[in-house]
Amino acid sequence: MSATSTGIGKSNGKVVPAAYPPPVDSPQEFVKRGLDSEDELIEVGVAIVGGGTAGLACANRLLQLLADDPDLMERLGEVPVAVIEKAKTCGGHNLSGAVMRPGPLQELFPELTREDWRKEGFAFGEVTKEAVYMTPTSKLGVRIPVPPPFKNHGNEIVSVSALARYQQRQAEEGGAYVLTETSATQLIVEEGRVVGVRSGDKGRGKDGEPLGNFEPGTDIKAKAVVLAEGCWGHLTGAAIREFDLADGREPQVWELGVKEVWKVPRPLDRLIHTVGPWPAKISGKYGQVGGTWLYPMKDERTGDDLVSIGFVIGLEYADATTSPHDLLQTFKLHPLVRKILAGGERVAWGAKALPGGGYWSMPKLSMPGAVIVGDAGGMVDTAALKGVHHCINSGKLAAEAIYRGLKNGETSFEPYEYMIEDSLTGRELYEVRNLRQPFQKGFLKGGPLVNLAIATRGKLPPGRLAWHRNDEKPMFIGNTYKRYPRPDGRYTFDKLSSVFITGNATRDDAPNHIRVQKHVPREVAETWKWMCPAGVYEIPDDAPETGPVDVIVNYTNCVQCGAITAKGGRLTTPEGGDGPLYQIT
Amino acid sequence: MGGILVYVLHYEGAFNKNSLGAVSEGAKLAGELGTTCDAVVVGGADLTNDLCATLGTYGAKRVFKAEGAEGLAQPVVDVMAKVIDDNSHSYALFGGGLLGFEIGAGLAARKNAGVTMEVTGVAVQNGALVAERPILGDSQISVSKYRGDLGIIIGRINAFEIKETGGGAAEVVDVAVDYSPWSNQATMVQRGEQRGADVNIEDADILVAGGRGLGKAEGFQLCEELAGAFGGAVAATRAVVDAGWYPYAAQIGQTGKTVSPKLYLAAGISGAIQHKVGMQASENIVAINKDANAPIFEFSDLGIVGDLNKILPKLTEAVKAKKGA
Repeated sequence: MSATSTGIGKSNGKVVPAAYPPPVDSPQEFVKRGLDSEDELIEVGVAIVGGGTAGLACANRLLQLLADDPDLMERLGEVPVAVIEKAKTCGGHNLSGAVMRPGPLQELFPELTREDWRKEGFAFGEVTKEAVYMTPTSKLGVRIPVPPPFKNHGNEIVSVSALARYQQRQAEEGGAYVLTETSATQLIVEEGRVVGVRSGDKGRGKDGEPLGNFEPGTDIKAKAVVLAEGCWGHLTGAAIREFDLADGREPQVWELGVKEVWKVPRPLDRLIHTVGPWPAKISGKYGQVGGTWLYPMKDERTGDDLVSIGFVIGLEYADATTSPHDLLQTFKLHPLVRKILAGGERVAWGAKALPGGGYWSMPKLSMPGAVIVGDAGGMVDTAALKGVHHCINSGKLAAEAIYRGLKNGETSFEPYEYMIEDSLTGRELYEVRNLRQPFQKGFLKGGPLVNLAIATRGKLPPGRLAWHRNDEKPMFIGNTYKRYPRPDGRYTFDKLSSVFITGNATRDDAPNHIRVQKHVPREVAETWKWMCPAGVYEIPDDAPETGPVDVIVNYTNCVQCGAITAKGGRLTTPEGGDGPLYQIT
Repeated sequence: MGGILVYVLHYEGAFNKNSLGAVSEGAKLAGELGTTCDAVVVGGADLTNDLCATLGTYGAKRVFKAEGAEGLAQPVVDVMAKVIDDNSHSYALFGGGLLGFEIGAGLAARKNAGVTMEVTGVAVQNGALVAERPILGDSQISVSKYRGDLGIIIGRINAFEIKETGGGAAEVVDVAVDYSPWSNQATMVQRGEQRGADVNIEDADILVAGGRGLGKAEGFQLCEELAGAFGGAVAATRAVVDAGWYPYAAQIGQTGKTVSPKLYLAAGISGAIQHKVGMQASENIVAINKDANAPIFEFSDLGIVGDLNKILPKLTEAVKAKKGA
């Protein structure tokens, strides 16, 4: 069925990306019915898909519990806990702001002090001063009182990429098997229950043909599976569909963040957020709601003064020329930022999508044989800009639920859902459940309702505010792009040199892991081209000005941010080991 | 301090260019360390004493020659292990390439030695060698020092420059080796060329490289004509290789080959950093691009803003005329 012939895909004459869905058959491709025979599979106790903050918190906690329970450890077999990570090392694909509420990490590793965190190289100091600015224009910055959700006093600046590396070491010391450079491509379901995952093939060529170094994937059978894939979760998406986990929930919506880390000559003395509207457009027509951060980072191991700077925008925007990467470059031109970065040097860059729907968009978090933790489960509080502590908390609670379940010989881990509801994660996400939705009406129209929600600590507006899907937003070709600076290669950067410093080196003849329709209206093609921070989508110079165009997909540039899934495409798992190698993002 | 032993690969009576670069580099480093540089060769009858002695031109003092199977790693590991045991070399140096990687790895395992691959520079520090290796997509340099009796350094292709030292003939020393039982289990069945590589772009002095700006696959004809007139070879960017316009063997850049010709002529190449890292060491860079803002102009010696469809044919004519004259 072609979208254009049926007339869908147009809304008031405008084009909707959802009308050009990716060529994907999720139940057929991403769910495997039944396990291979016993001598062809690997059997583990608990299989954790994704070695990020949440998945490793689950591994860390499970191994703590198993250390005191040799009987159960024994019963889980030779590999009690396996972590499956597609990056070259854990943390390689992790990126966040990040300013973290310290509680859950302190609970996870009670013997560690915050001073120890800094010595380990994943924490960079406690927030003592903070400021929030409105930026009405490219020149003006108006300091405003810190809105309650933004209060960060006492929180810790961290790098989730470095934190994951630390957690990986802890997990391995505790007896986990961390399978890096391994992607999990299929969820294995038997008799209505998740019984494992299948790892991806390696060494396939562009057309899927096996090359000389071809290695087929393997079924990994597990007593419990933890989906900790972050955003966008490949198997999580398949599981949500297979087990109807989003039934009765709001659709998930997404945001995209682009971040740089700068080494600066003078330490920044405070944490700064800006709430716009500039560099985004204020008019509701553009649908742009974004904000920025500037976090001071003191690297205690090198003595370097660093600054984390980033821009986040909801993917509900309507102007196809919205480019989060270039908006970050634009933001750096503001005098407020120049003052901080002047004389400095960019040392890292990265981009990552995050779930923005909050409470109402969270899927049911358990299914027979498996649970969902962290960002994969949508556990981000986008009012407070916080998710790291929810990742740790959910991973830890999942470990406790699975431990109890396995001990009692159960295959349902449903109690995990109630544990989340009763924990700080459930409470905090409930409080801000209706806070961000009004912004879908635009920055100006939505503002008062947002303030109401903040002022009443979430009691008002009452009920359940709906979310509209990001890919159903009609797109138009606007002029946001006129704001973007021409990169000078020293202070402002183009996309490709940014991808380069991520250490991305995806094999050129690997199969394409990005599913999109390649013949689409210009509005959709422009949306992808500008949105993608890594320059994956290109429109040929000689493409027609109007009507459908052929999109070139440079998938080897991909840093696996996941945003394409929100705007009409689908990110699937590439070959293990491909993609960026983030260090300090 | 023991000496430096360099593995030299040969084929049909000629030494490999990267190996000769490694001998030159080894001789230079040996001079700084106050020791000597030796070479080791393994092969059959085409390795004459006269041929081996010419390695002295590049600075080798002695050439250890062993009779053995060519093009296979394990026999060379046996030979090098014996030469090192008998002569107490402190370093083994390779010019790069897959065979070098394999021999170096095997030797590292055999001798329990440290190994660094893809090395782009070697320096003397406190009387010892340290190897520099680009990491994280060439955005950073890691420096390796060696512990123990032997350090193994394997260069990246073209990392070491060939230099004639003016030295005389090297002393050729025949080595008798008892090969390990597994070493001669493999035999060379066929020597194949890399797909699509009729010219080895890594060896060419002049490269004409084409990018997306050529417009279509047929645009490479212009490059081929110019390269033909120059007596050079054609290279390509990843984008056009992806698009199927030219074979992968000609790809320059982060995920392709690294080249350093005397002249690199870039036609319709924007010059993204992923491409730059593969060709920035070229002696002279000339860029033709219709976009005056293309990043390639920032690191070209000569930049031409214009239509390559007009410029390339004229350039070809001019080169032909000059050569004919």
